[in-house]
Amino acid sequence: MLLSGLYAGVELGLNRLLAMDSTALPRLARLSGRVIAVQCSAPAIQLYLLPGADGLQLATHWEAEADCRLQGPAAVLLRLALADDKTSLLHSDQLTLQGDSGVLLELAAILQDLELDWQYELARWLGPVAGPLLAGHVQSRASWMKQGAGRLQQMFADYLAEETRTLVGRREAEARFTELDQLNLALDRLEARLQRLAQRAKPDA
Amino acid sequence: MSDARKATEQEPTTHFGFQSVPESQKAQKVAEVFHSVASKYDLMNDVLSGGMHRLWKRFTIELSGVRPGNRVLDIAGGTGDLTRKFASLVGPSGEVVLADINDSMLKVGRDRLLDKGVAGNVCFVQADAEKLPFPDNHFDVVTIAFGLRNVTHKDDALRSMLRVLKPGGRLLVLEFSKPSSELLSKFYDTYSFRFMPLAGKLITNDADSYRYLAESIRMHPDQETLKAMMAEAGFERVSYHNMTGGIVALHRGIKP
Repeated sequence: MLLSGLYAGVELGLNRLLAMDSTALPRLARLSGRVIAVQCSAPAIQLYLLPGADGLQLATHWEAEADCRLQGPAAVLLRLALADDKTSLLHSDQLTLQGDSGVLLELAAILQDLELDWQYELARWLGPVAGPLLAGHVQSRASWMKQGAGRLQQMFADYLAEETRTLVGRREAEARFTELDQLNLALDRLEARLQRLAQRAKPDA
Repeated sequence: MSDARKATEQEPTTHFGFQSVPESQKAQKVAEVFHSVASKYDLMNDVLSGGMHRLWKRFTIELSGVRPGNRVLDIAGGTGDLTRKFASLVGPSGEVVLADINDSMLKVGRDRLLDKGVAGNVCFVQADAEKLPFPDNHFDVVTIAFGLRNVTHKDDALRSMLRVLKPGGRLLVLEFSKPSSELLSKFYDTYSFRFMPLAGKLITNDADSYRYLAESIRMHPDQETLKAMMAEAGFERVSYHNMTGGIVALHRGIKP
């Protein structure tokens, strides 16, 4: 019952988020009636995902047969949830996938493509004037912080590479790597040439 | 199994809470209770159960095994909590019938579902659970949530539900039951007979209806008795799940 309560809370929050994307719910409606079972082996937890026009329903138990069943330890399932390339992870030995994987991949794609219109949600709560005003302010602060973080990262990298010489600079490293590649190629050519000469030097050649 | 029907010279009696009333009057008295509480039914459910009724209903849906295209009957559906979820699960090819004997509850449920945009695959029927106006072998799933204890002849109602179910179809009975621990039982008694009528008085200005609720729960058959009643009515593989320490139990039976 506790887990069921937890799922109910997560479901409520998740569906609010899904409603903020204009395409998520119609795409989920197309998966209506499909059941995805996720069995976490460590810790042992079972989760059923039922997409529908209202969003995603989460259940601890589902009596009807699941269309797709995914089984694996929590760490791998979490990695799968966050990974961009899910297909390669799905082929890993630690995961077992039974049934129609298309349903799972479609659901993952919907969740990955989410573009949340949080400005609309803010305007809905604060009104048409205060909402966009606050959104604009938050957006400009966020952009300033992003630029600041980028500049700080650049300065720190320059300090480590140029001032303290703790690290090699990117361009310097790239030039050195190119030289090493060229040297490697030259050695390959020399080896091939020596082999050809050795063949020629043999008495019966 | 049979209901507590006391034979008198004039008419058999049955219980209405802790009172004994002629059988013909029980439906009328129960109807009065629900006419009185219909408008604030959902609010009272949340207050009295601390929101737990949502989890109990959630578990009922999980155990229903409803699929797209199924036909579902939600008896005593009241304000349509289960119907709403079933309507989304059965999809446009399925059908959900919300049935309630009480027209006030049915109106509240219908308005609420229409306001939420639930339409197309849902229909509303005022019906008595003892004499369901549906053909034999018609539904894939029949549910009755917090309604069976108000039915005068529970045996007849269970047989009627069996009749309208398709073979292999399942009946789910969600109802208050008997707490499994003595300590919880004592706390629950205090809560039911002190707090519930008080909350009823404060919120709906009707303490009597909520006193009836507490009394009717005590008069309702416990888990094992209801299980035996379902088996006697003709259900197979009857089982039950206790929830919140047995305060509520979900019984499930399959039509052979």
